[in-house]
Amino acid sequence: MLAVTTAVASGSRSPTHLDPDLSWAPPSSAWPLGCGEAGVDLLALVAHATQRGVVLAASVALVGFVVGCPLGAVAGLARGGLERAVSRACDLVQAFPTFLLALVVLSAVRTPTRSHLAAVFLLTAWAPFTRLALAQTRVLRDAAFIEAARALGGGRARVVLRHLLPNLLGVVAVQLGSTAAAIVVSEAALAFVGFGTRDGISLGSVLDQGVSAMLRAPHVLFVGAAGVFLTSVALMIAGRAFDPSIAPGRRGH
Amino acid sequence: MRRFARVAGRIGEAALVVLALATLVFLALRILPGDPAALVLGDQASEAERAVINAKLHLDEPMWMQYARFVGGLATLDLGESVRRPGVSAVARVLDAIGPTASLAAVAVVLGAILGVGASVLGAGPWLGSRRGWIDRAATALAATPLLAFAPVLTFALAARLRVVPLPGDPEAGAAGLLFASGLLSLPLAAHVARVSRAALDDLGRAQFLGVARAKGASYARVLWMHALPAAIGPIVTVLGTQLGALLGGAVVLERLFERRGLGTLILEAYASRDLPVLEAAVVFSGALFVGAQQLAAAAHAAVDPRVRS
Repeated sequence: MLAVTTAVASGSRSPTHLDPDLSWAPPSSAWPLGCGEAGVDLLALVAHATQRGVVLAASVALVGFVVGCPLGAVAGLARGGLERAVSRACDLVQAFPTFLLALVVLSAVRTPTRSHLAAVFLLTAWAPFTRLALAQTRVLRDAAFIEAARALGGGRARVVLRHLLPNLLGVVAVQLGSTAAAIVVSEAALAFVGFGTRDGISLGSVLDQGVSAMLRAPHVLFVGAAGVFLTSVALMIAGRAFDPSIAPGRRGH
Repeated sequence: MRRFARVAGRIGEAALVVLALATLVFLALRILPGDPAALVLGDQASEAERAVINAKLHLDEPMWMQYARFVGGLATLDLGESVRRPGVSAVARVLDAIGPTASLAAVAVVLGAILGVGASVLGAGPWLGSRRGWIDRAATALAATPLLAFAPVLTFALAARLRVVPLPGDPEAGAAGLLFASGLLSLPLAAHVARVSRAALDDLGRAQFLGVARAKGASYARVLWMHALPAAIGPIVTVLGTQLGALLGGAVVLERLFERRGLGTLILEAYASRDLPVLEAAVVFSGALFVGAQQLAAAAHAAVDPRVRS
């Protein structure tokens, strides 16, 4: 799916080329998905929007993963106060209304860009990874091989890096897909309500056009909805694919 | 005494989250590049005009004084006047908009709980026979579909084509409009509730007290309603609590879609007209509403299930 959008996006079609004569034109052989407002080529727009949305979501999810996973593991091993503090922090952050904060940050800057979006999403993206890593560490920390590693004189950093993290990754990586999918949807929702980036290249703005032209050109609406749905489902499936490829337990088979 | 401490702890926690949100909002509007006065007035404004706005919004004071004023304003519900509608306080505009959003969300939660629990009972009971699997599959598919994708399509089908519900933006929409909008909002909620309560019911299906009730001659439906569901209510309340954030975001999207009045529309309006005091007030109040509802869900869970009170 990613490959298809990339191939189309890198083709000669431009999402900013406008042709007013073709405004709201229905799908045809030259424009497979039809045209939107002021004759924008929907196929190009959707392809570019999907690509940028996925890149944004995947990078935010990856950074959240890289930050959250070791944090949860360390907190789980340390037990006591640190474990409680990190666990409470996760609860609080997951309860945080990110959507509202995104609205404010995007209205405070004059020209919202994707890096602003990424920064807002990052504020809360680490929490699910930390929570999962913490839960998994609680299970693993009393396992015999961790105890053995400690008894052999492995320092805390060594135990975390060499023994604990490899066993966490598979479980936590599955969360990558659903976090990325949630971010793609939030980004589209923000663009839909008018808080997108200035270039207007987002699945949400396709939907926005579709809703405003619901009676005249319903195909725009269907293209936008299908774009959001397919991207989010594709990311979830991609996340699930992480499971067996990383989990060390299954690698040997 | 311990109950009192628990309530105090919950209130303190909620206040902490609201304060964190308010502080981030405060900082975002003041530290991020982009002079607020220029945002309000546009680039062509003269120095004198900017000075007036700066004085009105207290932007000429040192940062810590602005912050103290802001937090004090939160406590006394006075966040200044709306820039765009002089004479109307920002908080008054927010309170005006809370009603429609709260009713939208409340109807959605009720509908979601009824639909979800109903679906899970149908799925767990013997009535549908081999077709029970359909309910599970429908719930999984619905939970994976973003509201943003299906709400516009359903609106198109039902409002523009079949004309069974009012069109978006129809000022006469009234109760039908509210019901349709919250129905859309409740669908993902219902799917999550259905999955969780189905899992809880299956879990309980192996519990002994249900067998006892069945052996005493109670019908299957009676066992489900009288014995199993009360025991499964905890996870259901919890999932409702965790879905509140999605509900809030969904409410903003749906208000935009149907051009309904409400907090979401107010935030968008304040954003478009750069009405900073209203924007601050609207976001902080929505956050408070959200956190309050979440703590209520946690408290309700603790009230019905003694196991989580530790």
